[in-house]
Amino acid sequence: MAGLAAAPGANDAQNYRRAPGLFAWLVLAPLLAWLVLFVVAPTVMLVAVSFAERDALGRIVWIFTTENYVRAFDWLWLKVLLVSVWYAFLTTVICMAVGYPVAYTIGRAPPRWRSLLLMLVMVPFWTSFLIRTYAWITILSKEGLVNSMLLNAGFISQPVALLYTPFAIVLGLVYNFLPFMILPIYTSVEKLDNAMIEAAYDLGAGPLRAFSQVIIPLTRPGIAAGAMLVFVPSIAMFAITTLMGGGTNPTIGEVIFKQFTSGRNQPFGAALGTLLLLIFILALWLTRKHREENA
Amino acid sequence: MTVAGSSPLATGTPRSRRSLSGSRLQGISFGIWTAGVFAFLYIPILLLVVFSFNSSRLNIRWEGFSLQWYGALFSNKVLITAFQNSLIVASVTTVLATILGTVGAWMLYRYRFPFQRSLGLLIFIPMVMPEVLMGVSLLVLFVQFLNLPLGYTSLVIAHTTFCFPFVLVGVQARLQGLDPFLEEAAMDLGATPVQAFWKVIVPYLMPAIVSGALMSFTLSLDEYIVSVFTTGSQSQTLPLKVYGMAKVGLNPQLNALSALFIAATFAAAVAGQFIGKRKHS
Amino acid sequence: MKTKTTTLLSALAALAVAGCGKAPETAPAENTTQPQAPAAAAESKQLSIYCWSEYIPQSVIDEFAARTGIKVSVENYASNEEMLAKLGAGGGNYDIIQPSEYVVEALVKENLLHPIDHSKIPNLKNLSPQFLNLPFDPGNKFSVPFMAGTVGIVWNTELITGDIKGFSDVFKPENKDKIVVLDDAREIVSWALLSQGIPVNDVSDGNLEKARGVLANWLPLVKVYDSDSPKTALLNGDVAIGVVWGGEGAILLNEDKKFRWAVPAEGTHLFIDSLAIPKDAKNVANAEAFMNFILQPEISKQISDAFPYTNPNLEARKLLTAEQLANPASFPTDEEIAKMETFKDVGAQSSKIDELVTSLKVQ
Repeated sequence: MAGLAAAPGANDAQNYRRAPGLFAWLVLAPLLAWLVLFVVAPTVMLVAVSFAERDALGRIVWIFTTENYVRAFDWLWLKVLLVSVWYAFLTTVICMAVGYPVAYTIGRAPPRWRSLLLMLVMVPFWTSFLIRTYAWITILSKEGLVNSMLLNAGFISQPVALLYTPFAIVLGLVYNFLPFMILPIYTSVEKLDNAMIEAAYDLGAGPLRAFSQVIIPLTRPGIAAGAMLVFVPSIAMFAITTLMGGGTNPTIGEVIFKQFTSGRNQPFGAALGTLLLLIFILALWLTRKHREENA
Repeated sequence: MTVAGSSPLATGTPRSRRSLSGSRLQGISFGIWTAGVFAFLYIPILLLVVFSFNSSRLNIRWEGFSLQWYGALFSNKVLITAFQNSLIVASVTTVLATILGTVGAWMLYRYRFPFQRSLGLLIFIPMVMPEVLMGVSLLVLFVQFLNLPLGYTSLVIAHTTFCFPFVLVGVQARLQGLDPFLEEAAMDLGATPVQAFWKVIVPYLMPAIVSGALMSFTLSLDEYIVSVFTTGSQSQTLPLKVYGMAKVGLNPQLNALSALFIAATFAAAVAGQFIGKRKHS
Repeated sequence: MKTKTTTLLSALAALAVAGCGKAPETAPAENTTQPQAPAAAAESKQLSIYCWSEYIPQSVIDEFAARTGIKVSVENYASNEEMLAKLGAGGGNYDIIQPSEYVVEALVKENLLHPIDHSKIPNLKNLSPQFLNLPFDPGNKFSVPFMAGTVGIVWNTELITGDIKGFSDVFKPENKDKIVVLDDAREIVSWALLSQGIPVNDVSDGNLEKARGVLANWLPLVKVYDSDSPKTALLNGDVAIGVVWGGEGAILLNEDKKFRWAVPAEGTHLFIDSLAIPKDAKNVANAEAFMNFILQPEISKQISDAFPYTNPNLEARKLLTAEQLANPASFPTDEEIAKMETFKDVGAQSSKIDELVTSLKVQ
């Protein structure tokens, strides 16, 4: 079974890759230009600003200082970061568990239904974020739908506080990020070979074993991509956490945002942002190195 | 795997029957689960549609049926213009991000460029960078270095920058485990690399491309913070008009707008399904 | 599969094209205005406003455009600091901005505002002297009051018994997890300072330490921080008492009789949102015309009808209903206003204030 799980062709990849000719460079050029202009340049500016001072309005004054970093290495900001990462992690795991069966079902549906189902996953998010979130607030509040249903059914005698709790934060995050897990997993499920799955069942594997030993390993690239697309953006996400969580536990995105607004300290915000980028890039680089060494 | 001695027919039949029922069980339970998840996704949407017919301005309690918000919406030029802007920006962003992401993923997969690993890491920066940092730094870049006036162009550039990594990552996942001979076979049959990419690779990648396009469209449609800093007064999108509204209560015209847009999308999708079915048969 | 995708994409494209049809005529407008002296500005029929979302009713803007023939473009922000950050980075060419009082002061200090010619705004006479010539802009050289308001206490009488007079009645242990407050570090710190008898603008390090002592007891009691819509949590019954903007309080009082309002006995913040002209504005004369326009009583009344803040325009108040004027959250009494303070710009201290509140939230 392990042999089945390894992505076919992975070993050939080294030989398969070609050295780029002039044409390949030309095709890559737009992406390179885009990266240099709109990703590298802003990042360089960000790092430069993080070593600057600021004036009373929070604007940048170009005097070199490392004070922003001295200040950033404080237990307070680390705690904020840990809370954010923890929520992002929970969100990713739950999205994976909730989303996988959905992605699988869509990916195995008759081909002509797939695009429609995929779109059905996305359409709820073509509404305004604020209305969606306020709808959730109405549903979860003490006088909301869930509480009145539970009260009527006699499960509870007093309204339960659902809103402005960690539960509400995670629910809000899962709701908003679920499609970003379902879609990439769907892409991997969609290309599964029917014969492979049937073979697994034919070999006498029960559904659980067929799943854990054949199907999940085969769709691992999609799961990994989905995890990336959910985990990474949800670290810095804060509108949902403040609206549904009541704002009692600030996240790193909110703290950085406030440096640019009410805190009026752009350089410090830039320093926190640079550290966030560094930690993230380092973690990603280590994982990839680890994976390549194992491969 | 020791079936020696017994007839293959005798053992084969009950096994395959058992596994079939196993896969059926799995299919049914997944189907129920999926229906449940769709219900979860649509509960708030149902509520916002219901509230679009509410006579009260506050989106909190039901006070009676009314069509007033639909009427008001049609004469609200500002909201409609903002919504049009949102659609324009999201559509152009989707096209650009999908092209950049798909071609980028393929090139990085197919060729060995110098600094390949660093390139692969750079792509994640727009995803992890907090929106306010991205918005402000792009604003400074546009205004002070590129001398680009704020408007549709700057907004689309900013949106494309944070959208294309989503396409690229998704397409990369689909590329993993691609049969290397697929492209070679096409080229053996006389296709140029461009033809091979267009005729063989793109169709293979299509589910990932569609997913990436859907994600880009959604992300762009709903972006607030980056938009605040990179747009001009002519290209105000819907989130910019909506964000401060909570102060006086979210305007139910927004519910009406969302309800209409969803209805239109559904109509288009069902029509597409119907037309597609006729073509197939 | 492929056909499905193309139908989907073409549906989207069709929607976009439908939108595009109208776009080109408006698109190139912004950057064609030539730089010019205020005197010549009257010839350019343009006005670019950068204001809070949901603060200037669209009907008012449409009416101004109809009467003067000036083409108005509006860009919105959701906080003073968003506006400052965008202005500070050099974004946008605005003719009118809408800063709060302490931001006016900061902008004047940094020499970022254009002085206002009072002779062009005769309707200034309609404003109550209570809101003119205040410390943040002596003589109103740079700003014209738009709306004012305050911060006060609102509570649900079904859930809170007993009389509420000030902050000390809100932040009591028995109210734990029943409180909503504004998510605004400067506001929160000012309440703690007031409870110690310290003026809101004395934000020295020593006073901030005193505020920390107070807030260390107060903030753990808070259930929700919300600056945008604290009324939601109160209306939904998730909290019972809140320290909120006057406008929010006014909406709550209009919505349900169970809510009551009090101006804190310790004193509170009087905010004044003004109109001002950025230094680089290209259409100064049009901006002044707009300021004069919104000070007309019947126009100002429209603003009050839409947003229940404290209208500083005495002539407009005469046109309001008795019910509007009787709302204690919209219109505090003169004695109450006399006890309120406006915020002064605290410059770099705002960073410390922000960190103080953040550190107490993270437990």
